[in-house]
Amino acid sequence: MTTILPVSSILLVTGFGLALIGLCCILLHRHLLRIIIGSSLFGTGLHIVIVATGYVTGGTAPIIDRALGPAEPGRAIDPVPSALVVTAIVIGFAVTAVMLAYAIRLHSARKTFDIGAFTESKW
Amino acid sequence: MIYRASVLFAVALLGLIFLRLAGGYAERSALRPLAEHYVSQAPLELGVSNIVTGILIAYRGFDTLGEVAVLFMVAASVGLLLRKEEAGRKYTEEGRRKPAGEIVTTGTQVLLPVILTFGAYVIVNGHLSAGGGFQGGAIVASGVMLLLLADPGTRVNAAALSVIESLAGVSYVAIGILGLVLAGGFLDPRFLPPGEAGAFISAGAIPVLSALLGIKVGAELSVIIDRFGR
Amino acid sequence: MVASVFHPLNIFLLGLAGGFAIPLLVRISTAWLSAGFFIALVGIWVVSGVSLLRILAGEPPIDILTAGSQPPIAISLRFGLAEGFVAASVNVVAILGALHLWDRLRGNYAALLLYLGLTMGINGMVMTRDLFNLFVFLEIVSIATYGLLALERTPAALGAAFKFIMATVIASSFFLLGTGLLYLAVGTLGIDELIAARSGITGPIGEAAILLVLASLIIELKPFPANGWGLDVYETAPSGIAAMVSVGASAGVFFSLVKLLPLFEHQFTILAAAGGLTFLLSNLVGLKQSNIQRLLGYSSVGQMGLLLLALALLHQTGRTASIPLVVGGLFLNHLLAKAGLFWIAAVTRQRNVDNAVGLAGHPLLTALLTLFLVAIAGLPPFPGFWAKWELVMQLTSAARSPWVVLILAGSLLEAAYMFRWFVRALSPQEGRQVAMPSVSALFPVMAVALLLCIAGYVAARASGAGAPWIFAPLLVGAALFLLDWMPGRAKAVLMLAAVLSIGGFLAQAAQGIAWLFAVLLLAGSLTIAAADLYRDDVRPGYYPLLAVLLLSIQALLRSSTSLEFFFAWEIVTLSTGFLIMKGRRAGPHVLSFVLFSLLSAFLLLAGFAGIAASSGTTDLRAFMTRGPEENVAFLLLAVGFLIKAGAIGVHVWLPGAYSEADDDFTAMLSGVVSKLAVFGLLMGTYLAIRSEVGLELAHAMAWLGMLTTIAGAVMALRQTDFKCLLALSSMSQLGYIVTAIALMSHLGWVTALYLVANHMMVKGILFLAVAGIILRTGTRSFAETGGLARAMPITFGTVLVAIISMSGLPPLMGFGGKWLLLSAMMDKGWYFLAIAGLLATFLGFLYMIRLVGGLFLVRPEGGRVTAGEAPASLLAPQIVLIVGIVILSLYPKLLMDPVSAAIDPQFASTLVWNGMSLEMIYGYWNPAPTMITAVAIALILGLIARLLRPAPRPDAVDFRRLVMLDRLVPGLSVPPVAVVFWRSLANGSVGAADLVRRLYTGNGQTYALYVLSYILVVYVAGAGLVGLWIGD
Repeated sequence: MTTILPVSSILLVTGFGLALIGLCCILLHRHLLRIIIGSSLFGTGLHIVIVATGYVTGGTAPIIDRALGPAEPGRAIDPVPSALVVTAIVIGFAVTAVMLAYAIRLHSARKTFDIGAFTESKW
Repeated sequence: MIYRASVLFAVALLGLIFLRLAGGYAERSALRPLAEHYVSQAPLELGVSNIVTGILIAYRGFDTLGEVAVLFMVAASVGLLLRKEEAGRKYTEEGRRKPAGEIVTTGTQVLLPVILTFGAYVIVNGHLSAGGGFQGGAIVASGVMLLLLADPGTRVNAAALSVIESLAGVSYVAIGILGLVLAGGFLDPRFLPPGEAGAFISAGAIPVLSALLGIKVGAELSVIIDRFGR
Repeated sequence: MVASVFHPLNIFLLGLAGGFAIPLLVRISTAWLSAGFFIALVGIWVVSGVSLLRILAGEPPIDILTAGSQPPIAISLRFGLAEGFVAASVNVVAILGALHLWDRLRGNYAALLLYLGLTMGINGMVMTRDLFNLFVFLEIVSIATYGLLALERTPAALGAAFKFIMATVIASSFFLLGTGLLYLAVGTLGIDELIAARSGITGPIGEAAILLVLASLIIELKPFPANGWGLDVYETAPSGIAAMVSVGASAGVFFSLVKLLPLFEHQFTILAAAGGLTFLLSNLVGLKQSNIQRLLGYSSVGQMGLLLLALALLHQTGRTASIPLVVGGLFLNHLLAKAGLFWIAAVTRQRNVDNAVGLAGHPLLTALLTLFLVAIAGLPPFPGFWAKWELVMQLTSAARSPWVVLILAGSLLEAAYMFRWFVRALSPQEGRQVAMPSVSALFPVMAVALLLCIAGYVAARASGAGAPWIFAPLLVGAALFLLDWMPGRAKAVLMLAAVLSIGGFLAQAAQGIAWLFAVLLLAGSLTIAAADLYRDDVRPGYYPLLAVLLLSIQALLRSSTSLEFFFAWEIVTLSTGFLIMKGRRAGPHVLSFVLFSLLSAFLLLAGFAGIAASSGTTDLRAFMTRGPEENVAFLLLAVGFLIKAGAIGVHVWLPGAYSEADDDFTAMLSGVVSKLAVFGLLMGTYLAIRSEVGLELAHAMAWLGMLTTIAGAVMALRQTDFKCLLALSSMSQLGYIVTAIALMSHLGWVTALYLVANHMMVKGILFLAVAGIILRTGTRSFAETGGLARAMPITFGTVLVAIISMSGLPPLMGFGGKWLLLSAMMDKGWYFLAIAGLLATFLGFLYMIRLVGGLFLVRPEGGRVTAGEAPASLLAPQIVLIVGIVILSLYPKLLMDPVSAAIDPQFASTLVWNGMSLEMIYGYWNPAPTMITAVAIALILGLIARLLRPAPRPDAVDFRRLVMLDRLVPGLSVPPVAVVFWRSLANGSVGAADLVRRLYTGNGQTYALYVLSYILVVYVAGAGLVGLWIGD
């Protein structure tokens, strides 16, 4: 497989791009659910970035099997970012769930999903 | 207007930083010592084939335990938030959505056993190949979700799930303590024999922990989905 | 076995297993649920406490390995001294917080589980040595907070929680990115390994990684202005949760920062700037806030800013040895006091500062609120005081004066809004009384107050000022407070006994001039305090506070280091403020009194710090040997003491405070308390002796004193309220003393002390006499009373004697004082000052005649005033004071000799008054010719007065004219420039606060944008603009 850019760089840029889109989504859309989607996207983008940084040129999944014999650990990619990201995904899911629950509560309080409707406390 | 402009400006600046990061990134051609250690030693020390699972359950098991706690607390938070007063409950009983159409219902009947079986497979094979407790638990929960989509009237036995969830959690900590007492430290899975890497019964207590994790995650996610569904 | 039961790992086992088991327990019964929760929570605390004790006993830090592997392969945690300190203190607050929240937590298993998770998460953040594990614990804390915020179901609270989540999600995502990039750059996640490899963390990725981790940790500490999301939550959350977020979660984040600090060694300036900006501006915005929880929110973020600032600057200047005292002290102070404030506001159901709750009837609640407010304002005896002292000392000696100014300004702002709350809460409120809370509601508040006191003592020991006598006044006060249920007069007697015995003990250890002051003021305070017996009401809290005040005066005079001096000074200030608060309408005046006093105190602090920085010691004896290098310090000290002496320009606090205090307490204020400023000024002027500039400054000070005298006299002339007239007269007389001190000569100082003694006795008599008149006539206005000479003959007599002595008429001691002063000024060649002094004396005559005439001679226009003689308990102290005046008038050497002896050593080697011996100086004071001269002057002045308002007969009508002088002098008076100035300063600050707080729009997206922008600013500040460019 030949690409102009290394595969991990492509992933890296994709992840960063997703994160930026997510941020725009958080900051520009006033709808609560879109904000939640935005923050999910932001998190996902960063997860992709971290997974991408674990890539080693020509490496394969760090599972000892037919593709990767026990005698050739050098061919595995770095397993640590993957392990971290598994944890981070679960945490991201958890935060999304809480945000959704809050969105439901907010909607039933004000009958609107507009974030501009919740500015009672300020100054 | 000023707000939109400043948002775009800030995001653009961040984009510049990200570009610089991407520009400064060079793909590695070899593992660093710590990663090398994991890849070469984990199969020997723990008997796991899937290094990521080995890291998740053993070396960084403390993280995993914390993450289980996060899920557990989220289930509680969502329950706290979506708990309805009695009047509200009556209202939703009346306004309940109708069951989904024939195709979805039938599809669920066919798919549900398959999904649950696949979830169980992924859970118990976590130490051997791609998979593990989290992944499998999520698959199981997706089955529950399908069930709820097909018939919103389905009552998931949330009480039983929460007991299962708690028991799994307590057992997880207990096995961790066994590691402390019988082996090298808290969450050390080596108090059971590592066995032969690649065999189904191998990797010490990792499969047990993985299964508990799967049960717990599956139950937790199901509870969360159920709470949103109501 | 014991070691394994109390191994710190068990904190997590208890937290996790307890948390997982809670849904099982709730199925058994609610009782099991509560028991299980508390077993886990208390267990966590016990484990952390026992482990901390082990470390304190000298054991090495405990490393907690997991998975049977060494770090960095497996996650490890560490429980050392610092970790143990933070964890154990957070855990104890967590237990008390749970008790406080119990009404909401009971039976709610989800909330219990979240609370347990929150506590465990904070412990994890404190103890973990793995960066990603830190992220996990940060998320545990966040999620638990999100869930607990759902306990409050109002739309505002839900909205605030959503904003909180939005902001923290962004921050923690950046933290995650930073962590991932650090792993990419270094190849490890162990904090110790990262620190060891820190010099290699370079290049675009390493740099960005460090800055992102730093920025997101700062964001989690809620820096200004990216903290609206935190403030909204503080405002709307249940008090217990808000307290836990403010003190617990922030403690975890802060300690994470401490742990990672070596990674940020090039970013100390960023940290300090973030902290300083937050501390100053949050406290500024607090001025405009009246919702209590939001107010506490501003204070919380401000305190976190201060912690950050202290941490960064002490590291930057290499003074890491002070970090435990400064950062630890500030941290503990904030932890306990802020939790206490959140809780007590909830217990008294006070939501808004402006809603008076009528706390005045509850001594216990009042005491608790006062204690927390004093602590949070960084005042003694609490840890924040010792920490701030040390911080200012270290920063001054490291030449970081601008930061000192910032810290002191922020502290003043914080004190302003805190004491505004205090004054409002305590203002007497008709018909509205807060219901007495239950014992269980009070228990957490009282426990945290007790801990605060213990912490204060420990911090004092750590600062090297833990001698028992320092605390004697407070202990006596506490003991008397416990006896506060006794009848008023019994308490008065007990208080007198305590002051006599303990005060006597304290006084005998004082040295030199301080000893003279101690003896003089002890005698004066006992005499004046004896007059308190004239009131037979209960006066809750009055006598304990008075004991604290009078004993602290003695403690101040015996202090040998500037720290002890400053400590006693602050206690004097506080107890005085609280005593003034006992007056019915004193509220607003207490606020200005406290603020001016704190301004003065902070100037003193800066001055002391300057001296300590250049001399290397806090010993007060250093004052006597320092030279011209202390000019700035002298200026700071002089201004500080002049504020307390009520010098012109900064006198605006004085008339209100003096007039609205209880009548007998005003006598104490004017007679005794004001003399401390004089003592301080005397001490401070030692610094100016050896420098030319210092002497110039002293000359300016002399003019300031004289102007104060004149201005005070003019204002007194215009008063229609005779108590206020006396207050202004007190200010005027202190001006003479300031001038005398400024003479910087032996004779000047002897004069100053002579005047001090005279003024103490005179003002004691006058205010006590006025107290009697107010008691019998019920008014303070000239217009409503008069002609009392027949009704109150003894009072008339005492007032007459006092007035003669004050005015400087022969033959009483005031004459000697004035004469000495004039001769000293002539001798120094300060002729204009001498002339001004004569003018001032003349103005003094006028208002004194008004006083005597208006009260005793002229009848009010309405007709007769019926009144009886003042009670004997008021008259007796006056007569004792008169005896004092007579003795000192007849035998001036009784005072002069010891004074001269005490002063002489200082001047013997430096300034000698024209080389003349003492005997020659006294030779100048030959009473016979001077008396004739004085009488002649008096006659001439009288003639002038007569010419001003010619009258047909020297009868009552004449006096009436004088009494009505207030209607004649407006043309002569100056506009209230000082009042206008200070008022517009205050209004300006509040206006600025209102402007700044517009940043907090309440919109979650705006807050999120602030968070993002803050991270960008930190990044650019760290990496420079190059950091935005793709190439290198």
